[in-house]
Amino acid sequence: MEREDKKYSSERKYRNKDITVYWKPSACVHASYCYRELIEVFDPGRRPWVDMSRSTTSRIIEVVNMCPTEALSWKWNDDEKNKNIEIDQLNHVKFRRPELMNINESDQEENTVSVKILANGPIIIRGNFTFSYQGIKKEIYGGLISICRCGASDHMPFCDGRHRKIDFID
Amino acid sequence: MEEDKENKFGADVEVTDWGPLKITGDFRIKDLKRDTEDSPAEILLCLCGKSGIKPLCDESCKK
Repeated sequence: MEREDKKYSSERKYRNKDITVYWKPSACVHASYCYRELIEVFDPGRRPWVDMSRSTTSRIIEVVNMCPTEALSWKWNDDEKNKNIEIDQLNHVKFRRPELMNINESDQEENTVSVKILANGPIIIRGNFTFSYQGIKKEIYGGLISICRCGASDHMPFCDGRHRKIDFID
Repeated sequence: MEEDKENKFGADVEVTDWGPLKITGDFRIKDLKRDTEDSPAEILLCLCGKSGIKPLCDESCKK
């Protein structure tokens, strides 16, 4: 799990159906516009700290545009819409991080969900998928969840690391 | 438009009320311990820790 986290810690992306928000932690100067304006989406105390489902696309764009650095940037998922971006869209990747303009996130790549069974540990699921538990179905975009496989977690169905304490061998 | 939305999700992941984790759709599963990789249409994964055929469910949870 530690290794998994490390691999993705330098840069992350968060999607809803309309846009992708990129987060580059190394560029953050903690100006804190994001969470002062929209704590529902940008909550530093939560993991993952960005939850795209908690506001509207237009409001998220508005707040990402307030970021004074390139720590937060965004683009439309529909590449056609990225072609005519007005200059007032300050943090569109075109102005902040042009290198991201060329990243063509093909549907195939985005849609194949990755499921990894860690040795003697949890199931790690990454990608765009729906998640159902106790009759509640959630839509997860660009998500990463860790499901308990040893049966001993105190936070079912999610892994809380207890498999190590009980010496779970699969 | 509706169809468009559907396509955004590769897979459906469900914690079944009777035990295992059910995954259906477009996904790739990698078992790091046994070093296997597969893309089945559907899979049932053991969550109780009692299966004799881990990571798959053998319905030991029902007993």
